[in-house]
Amino acid sequence: MKKQFAWVLGAMMAMLLVACASQKGPAEQAVASAETALSAVADQAQKYVPDQYAAVQAQIASAKDSLAKGDYKAVLAAAPAITAAIGSLKDAAAAKAADAEAALSKAKDAWSSVSTDTPKMVEAIQTKVEVLSKSHHLPANISKDSLAAAKSGLDSIKATWADATAAATSGDYTGAMAKAQAVRDKAAEIMKSLGMGS
Amino acid sequence: MADTPPTGDNPYTQVHVVVAGDTLSKIAQKYYGDPSLYNQIFQANRDVLKDPNKIFPGQKLKIP
Repeated sequence: MKKQFAWVLGAMMAMLLVACASQKGPAEQAVASAETALSAVADQAQKYVPDQYAAVQAQIASAKDSLAKGDYKAVLAAAPAITAAIGSLKDAAAAKAADAEAALSKAKDAWSSVSTDTPKMVEAIQTKVEVLSKSHHLPANISKDSLAAAKSGLDSIKATWADATAAATSGDYTGAMAKAQAVRDKAAEIMKSLGMGS
Repeated sequence: MADTPPTGDNPYTQVHVVVAGDTLSKIAQKYYGDPSLYNQIFQANRDVLKDPNKIFPGQKLKIP
């Protein structure tokens, strides 16, 4: 009876080993496929959805850990979720990239008109400040303080405008537009303080 | 005297529409607080003004 039990136990162990060994290949393949799939979307994902990318990396790291420990069953159990996560990551990164591309295109279009118009604002303010600086008695609607503020504000917007044009030259139209808007807002404020109308 | 929103070559340069009784000195007084700066306006409008003493109602003058 004992011999029979030992034989049955041995047979079961052997079957288990065979079963485990048969899962090793698919588990290794699953991890390798996941790494390949993640690598294919890595650049875009790291740029546009870094947190989501890190989460998928962690999932794969966990699967690799299970693989190293010989827990092939765990690897195969996790594989579908990892595959789905990579798919979601790819879609999310592509969507973000499309949004960024659209925003860049919009900013580029806006820059073409702003880059022509804004220097005219600055020029008009510059000329007005120069003439008012020659005046012995400023008009009633313009104080000495507002003229002094206009002069310093003019220096400020010139510097910011230089930054904006540099950003545009480097292809960062979104950044250029943000700076240009700051220039235009400040310029409008100065023009109002100098009685230059709307 | 009447002023209007900026127009002209530079849309942000003020424009003054001349009314009866205006002189360049009066316009300079209004915009600069100093009538002696009339020549600034004259020089900016040499395309339409030949004589600083001759301006006419309805003329649109750039106020630099």
